[in-house]
Amino acid sequence: MNRVHAQRGMGNQAGFSIEGPLAHCVGNWVAPDLHDVELQLSRTRWPKDQLQLNLDGISTLDTAGAWLIHRTFHALEASGLQVSILGANEKTKQLLDLVKARSISATELPKPYLPGFLEGIGRKSGGQLLQLYEFLVFAGHLAFIAAKSSLRPLHIRWPLVVKELQNAGVNALPIVGLLTFLIGIVIAYQGGIVLRDYGANIYVADIVGLSMVRELAPLITAIIVAGRTGSAYTAQIGTMMVTEEVDALRSIGIAPIEMLVLPKLIALIIALPLLTVFADVMGLLGGMLMAAGMLDLNSSTFIARLTEAISLDSYLSGVGKAPVFAVIISAVGCFQGFRVRGSAESVGRQTTVSVVQSIFLVIIVDAVFSIAFSKLGI
Amino acid sequence: MPTEPESITMHGQKKSGECILKARELVMEFGRKRVLDGINMQLNQGEILAVVGGSGSGKSTLMRQLALLQHPTSGTIHLFGKNVTNMGELRTLPLRRRMGVMFQHGALFGDLTVLENVSLPLREHTGLSLETIEEVSMLKISLAGLEPDAAALYPSQLSGGMRKRASVARGIALDPEILYLDEPSSGLDPISADAMDELVLHLKKTLGLTILLVTHDMDSLWRVADRILLLAEAKIAAQGTIQDLVASANIHAQRFFHGPRGRAAGASHDQ
Repeated sequence: MNRVHAQRGMGNQAGFSIEGPLAHCVGNWVAPDLHDVELQLSRTRWPKDQLQLNLDGISTLDTAGAWLIHRTFHALEASGLQVSILGANEKTKQLLDLVKARSISATELPKPYLPGFLEGIGRKSGGQLLQLYEFLVFAGHLAFIAAKSSLRPLHIRWPLVVKELQNAGVNALPIVGLLTFLIGIVIAYQGGIVLRDYGANIYVADIVGLSMVRELAPLITAIIVAGRTGSAYTAQIGTMMVTEEVDALRSIGIAPIEMLVLPKLIALIIALPLLTVFADVMGLLGGMLMAAGMLDLNSSTFIARLTEAISLDSYLSGVGKAPVFAVIISAVGCFQGFRVRGSAESVGRQTTVSVVQSIFLVIIVDAVFSIAFSKLGI
Repeated sequence: MPTEPESITMHGQKKSGECILKARELVMEFGRKRVLDGINMQLNQGEILAVVGGSGSGKSTLMRQLALLQHPTSGTIHLFGKNVTNMGELRTLPLRRRMGVMFQHGALFGDLTVLENVSLPLREHTGLSLETIEEVSMLKISLAGLEPDAAALYPSQLSGGMRKRASVARGIALDPEILYLDEPSSGLDPISADAMDELVLHLKKTLGLTILLVTHDMDSLWRVADRILLLAEAKIAAQGTIQDLVASANIHAQRFFHGPRGRAAGASHDQ
C-alpha cells in the first residue's frame, strides 16, 4: 500500500510477539526489514488449539509482509489450529486478499530445464559438429564467390578493399613494429648469453635472422592481427546481424559475403604478408641493436652475416605462410560474425570465440607448415 | 534518512494527492542541442501521469532524469521531499529502492531467468530467505500478468510483451512508491497493448502505486492517464486531463489530439 519508509530507530522496526493464544504484529512489515521477523516466525512455538493474530500494530505493510502473514496463517490452519485475524484495516485486508488470490508455494515453482551430464556432452558435441559443418559451408560459399569475382575483377568493391587495407594494414604498423622489435631484442639477448661463452658472437645473426624470418615474424603478426582485426570483423558483422542490416543487404539483392567478407579477405591477403615483411625488418633491427650493444657486433658485420644465414627459401617460407593465415583470420572472423543471433550480448561472445579460434588455427597451421617444410627439407 | 513527519498520517501512509516528485526549470543539453528547456512539473501521490510528445521531444530524457538515471544540465529535482539533483550515486541508493523502472525493451538480465531477474532486487536489499524471496517474486510475476511457467524462461525465450511484463515485475519487486514506465505499449499488438493498460490500472489499484508513464499511444492516454504532460519543442506545450488537452487551443495539442489517430482514439473511448 502507499507505504512510507518509516525510519529505523523510530521504534517502527517490524516485530512480532506472542502471549498465550494472542499474537501481535507491530512496526513496518516491509521487505527490507523483515528478515528477523521471518526467522522469529519459523522458530515460534505456536499454541495448541487457538490463535488470534492481531495486526493493528502494523504501521506499514507491503506485499512481502502480507505474504509472510498469509503463509504463516495458511500453514497454521493446515496444521489444525484455529486462527483468526484481528485489527486488519481496509488496506491490509486488500493486500492480504491480493496475496491469497495469487499465492504459489515454493514447492511448485517452475524450474528452468537443465540438461543432464550425458545430454550436455551430446548437445555440445552436436553443436561443435554443426559449427564445423556450417564453417565448411561458409568457406565453400566464400571460395565460390572469390573464384567468381576473380573472373570479373572490376566487380570487386575496391574502395572497400582500400578501406580495409587502411584499417587492417596501415593502422596495425605501430603495434606490429613495436612488438617484433622487442622480440628481436629478447632473442638476441637470450642467444647472445650462450654464444658469448663460446666466442661465437657472430652467430647471433643466424639465431635472430632464422627464428624471426622463418617463424616468429609471421606467427606474431598473425596473432596480433587476429586479435585486433579478426575481432573487429566479428564485431562489425555481428552488430549488423543484430540490427538486421545483413538481412537488409540480402533484401536489396546484395550477397552479404560479397559485400562484407570478400573485401576483407582480399585486403588481409595483401596486408598480412606486407606486415610480416615489416615485422621481419623490425625484428632484425631489434636483434641488430642488441648485438651491437651486448656483443660489440657492428651492424655491417651483422648484416653481412644475415645475407649468408638467411636463404631465399627461409625468407619465402616465412612470408609465404602469411596469406594462409590471412585467409584463416578473415574467414573465421567473418564466419563468427554471421553466427551472432539475437542480442548484443551474443556479439561479445562470438568475438571472443572468433579470436580464440583464429589464434588456435593459426598456430596449428603453422605447426603443419613446419612439419611439411622439414619433410621437404626447406 | 531524514524524517518527513509532516507527510506521515496516523496509519503511516501518505496522503493521496501529495506531491512526491517535483522538477523545477529542468534543462538538458546534448552538445549544443537543447532537448529539455525549462521544464516545471510535479507528480502527485497515487496518480498516473503520462508524458507524451512526438519522437525526439525529450520525453524519454525527462523520464530518465526523473528516475535518477541521468543528471540534468541545470534545474532541480525533488524526490520524496529531498533535493536529489546533484546527489551522489551512493546517497541515492535508499531512494532507488522506493522507485521501480520498466525499461522500454525490458532490460532484463540475459543470463538470468525471469524468476531470478525479479528476485534480484529482493536478494540484494532484503535478508529474507530464498524460499520467501522466490514466493514473493512469483507473486509479482503473477501480478504483472505472466503465467507461472514463464518464470523459468530466459529473456531470449520471451516475446516483446512478456519481456515488458517481466520488467514490470522486477520494477515492483520491492513495492516501490513510484513506478516509471517507458513506452509500456510500444511495439505490442493491440491485444497485448490493451492488456498492458489493464495492468497499469490494476497495479495502481492494488498496490496504490504512483505511476509516471512515457507513451505516445493514444488509446493508453484515454484509458489510464489521470493527467497528461505534452512536450513539444523541448518545452511543456500543455498539461491537464485528456479532456483539457483535447479542448486546448495550443497548436501542439491540436495537432496531437486532433490528428486522425487522436480523433479515432477519442471517438472509440466516447462510445
